[in-house]
Amino acid sequence: MLFTQPIFWVFFVIVSALYVLLPHRGQNRMLLVASYVFYGAWDWRFLSLILLSTVVDYLVGLRMARENVETRRRWLLTVSLVVNLGMLAVFKYLGFFVDSFQQLLLSVGYEADPFALSIVLPVGISFYTFQTLSYTIDIYRKQLEPTQDPLDFALFVAFFPQLVAGPIERARNLLPNISAPRQLSWDALGRGAVLCLIGLIKKVVIADAIAPSVDAVYGSPDASRLDIIFATWLFAIQIYCDFSGYTDIARGVAKMLGFRLMRNFAQPYFAADPQEFWRRWHISLSTWLKDYLYIPLGGNRSGRWGTYRNLMATMTLGGLWHGAAWNFVLWGLYQGMLLSLHRALSGRHRRVGEGEKRSLLGWLWRGLAIIAFFQVVCYGWLLFRAQSFEQIQDFTLRLAGLNATMPAGFSVPGPPLAAILAMAFVFAWDVLIERSGNVRFYASWPLPVRAALYAGMIYLLAFGATTQTSNFIYFQF
Amino acid sequence: MKTQAKIIALTVLTVLLLDITVASVLRVAQQQGRLGALVQYFEYGRSVPGKIERWREQPGLPGNLRDVAWRDDLVAESQAAFATEADAPRVRTYGMSFVNDILRSASALDPDMVVDAHAGPAAPPNFTFAAFEDDAMNRRPGDVVVLGILSSSVHGMAALSNRTWLFEQPAPFTYPIYRPSSDGLTRIDPLVASLEDEDALRADPNALSEWNEQLHREDSFFSPVTFGGVWLDHSPFMRLVRRAFASGVMTSRSKSVLSQPADGGFPYEETLRRMAVAFSDRARADGQVPVVFLIQSRSPGDPDLRNILVETLESAEIPYLATADYYDVRNPSGFLADGHYRKSVNALFAEAFLELRDANGARSRD
Repeated sequence: MLFTQPIFWVFFVIVSALYVLLPHRGQNRMLLVASYVFYGAWDWRFLSLILLSTVVDYLVGLRMARENVETRRRWLLTVSLVVNLGMLAVFKYLGFFVDSFQQLLLSVGYEADPFALSIVLPVGISFYTFQTLSYTIDIYRKQLEPTQDPLDFALFVAFFPQLVAGPIERARNLLPNISAPRQLSWDALGRGAVLCLIGLIKKVVIADAIAPSVDAVYGSPDASRLDIIFATWLFAIQIYCDFSGYTDIARGVAKMLGFRLMRNFAQPYFAADPQEFWRRWHISLSTWLKDYLYIPLGGNRSGRWGTYRNLMATMTLGGLWHGAAWNFVLWGLYQGMLLSLHRALSGRHRRVGEGEKRSLLGWLWRGLAIIAFFQVVCYGWLLFRAQSFEQIQDFTLRLAGLNATMPAGFSVPGPPLAAILAMAFVFAWDVLIERSGNVRFYASWPLPVRAALYAGMIYLLAFGATTQTSNFIYFQF
Repeated sequence: MKTQAKIIALTVLTVLLLDITVASVLRVAQQQGRLGALVQYFEYGRSVPGKIERWREQPGLPGNLRDVAWRDDLVAESQAAFATEADAPRVRTYGMSFVNDILRSASALDPDMVVDAHAGPAAPPNFTFAAFEDDAMNRRPGDVVVLGILSSSVHGMAALSNRTWLFEQPAPFTYPIYRPSSDGLTRIDPLVASLEDEDALRADPNALSEWNEQLHREDSFFSPVTFGGVWLDHSPFMRLVRRAFASGVMTSRSKSVLSQPADGGFPYEETLRRMAVAFSDRARADGQVPVVFLIQSRSPGDPDLRNILVETLESAEIPYLATADYYDVRNPSGFLADGHYRKSVNALFAEAFLELRDANGARSRD
């Protein structure tokens, strides 16, 4: 059941109708059932993993809060880590490591009995395991009191709008929102609807429409340099619109039900350096990695080289979080290297355009830095999108002009008109948020202008909703 | 709440005004022959009966497909030509634009070759096979007979007409559905077989109802989303919405047809194998040289024709040309924007076809 399919909206209307009729406790129980139905629509068998994670972390949380002996608390935390990371290891990484091990043996001349593990990846497993882990870790750190209500906790783990692709919520944000009665309001309904609308435009009109152009080049055995550049720019737009579109819809749906989910994106392509990028891109993951991995590793308190090591380790594991493939590891290493490099240089150089932000020169420098850094980000997306290590090598050589047999032409099928219009619209939308610093910049506009904006968005969605909808990219993670 | 109600009312009103404005602009643009691509974009979402009726009312409209590829007309034209042509073998093709493109390139390489082409836009294999069967009396011994199978049209084997499975270009020409049976293939003919039958439906509600019932019963793509609510065609907005829904419906039905080739939505793999063998048997019995074209289009979701058919073709010693043997469809540089192969790629196929023709001892010159 995808957010872009009519069946989801039928499901949501039914859920909403029941929701307004029920008291607070009833709402929570109903949302829990709805969340399990939503998840079970993919594959009901994997509900058992969510239930396992829920039961273990609920019991560990309760027990840990009552336990004063540090070693026992640590043991309890270990149980939670083993169960959640073990699930991830088996369902997400086992096949990858077995395959890599076989390849390694083969490379040193030893042919192991080949066997393939056909383990199906449960949708959203990386998101909900990280979410529940943050709960037990926060209790261990005494930053959070455990919830007493097992069903509220179950809803925290399985809340359907953000279950399969985040944002990765922290218990201290979402649990109080579940435990306390929520206020339904027309205002929240309207704000949620606008978020859903912009999310659908991003996903359906842009991401799904430009996917075939990207696929054509990344599936081609003989792409030209121009093809690769153009397709990688398009992929940068596709992955942003796909993922932030999902998040917008998730936040919109949650908002209509009275929940507040965190922002996951803050105009990431307006970043001028890697540190700024990671403050704007997949915020719920980057803050999770910072709080639960980078800082425990020592953060920036381990000296210069220690900091670089911690950055590399955090980002490499962050890359691996995305998927069990070497290109994600490489992407993580690349991000770690960029952050380390930036840290090394920023000690001597102030951020580009900083201090001159209000001057024309400051804006000019910042604009140039944004454009230049976007190319750096795009090379990262090439690593991310590539289908194999060989393709990374091949495309890199072609980009550098070191492939003598490469064709010179340009053969990428252009995006449809609706997608181009929508890209211009989303760009303007992001510029307005960036300039005003307010995600609801339109709220102060006169009513007829706002109505015209909404009508235009509805028409734009209809104009571009003709392409084949596909799964959200981040569902595979 | 008052403010929210005002906003909702104003938004609905603005969508309505926008829709009226767009409809007016499109009407004026169409009258003046401007914004052709944009006007066409909005036309894609018109209901199928709406599109066919519009083509009937305005025969000069660009992209009008109402009159094309009716098998009765093809066979009649073929018969008329056959009666006057020289008594010499030639290449007779039953395919679609892809086959025509290859033969055009082949003719450039061998200008003496005479080609008699029978084609329908995006014709599925059941159309090409039916045209081959119906045109039997218009072929001679020694002819090379080409049966074209296009991967992106294979799911159309579960349809009686392009009108049901090609929502944006619903050419109304019809064809039978074939299913495997104990003695080969069972042929289910459509109740509407010619343009005259199509026109007659307008005056005969009973015939129309029977035709719709047959589509509902036999055709896996017939849907109220594409055929119902003709009155919604007045609104450009609703046409866009219909197109979005139709796209989803067509995709899911196509997936359903192609998902279980053995016993599920439609046994298309077995039907294709039997068609290829029946085609070859019939052509050989009539003293002709059968050649099957397996044309793989660029869509990655298409069935792999080589995979499905090559074993059958080789074991029955049926000459074939699989485009996948000569061009990797993953390489987009060989395709035009509309999905057809570029001339240079067609030249590769043409060369292969001529070699195949000569290797099979065909005499194809007048």
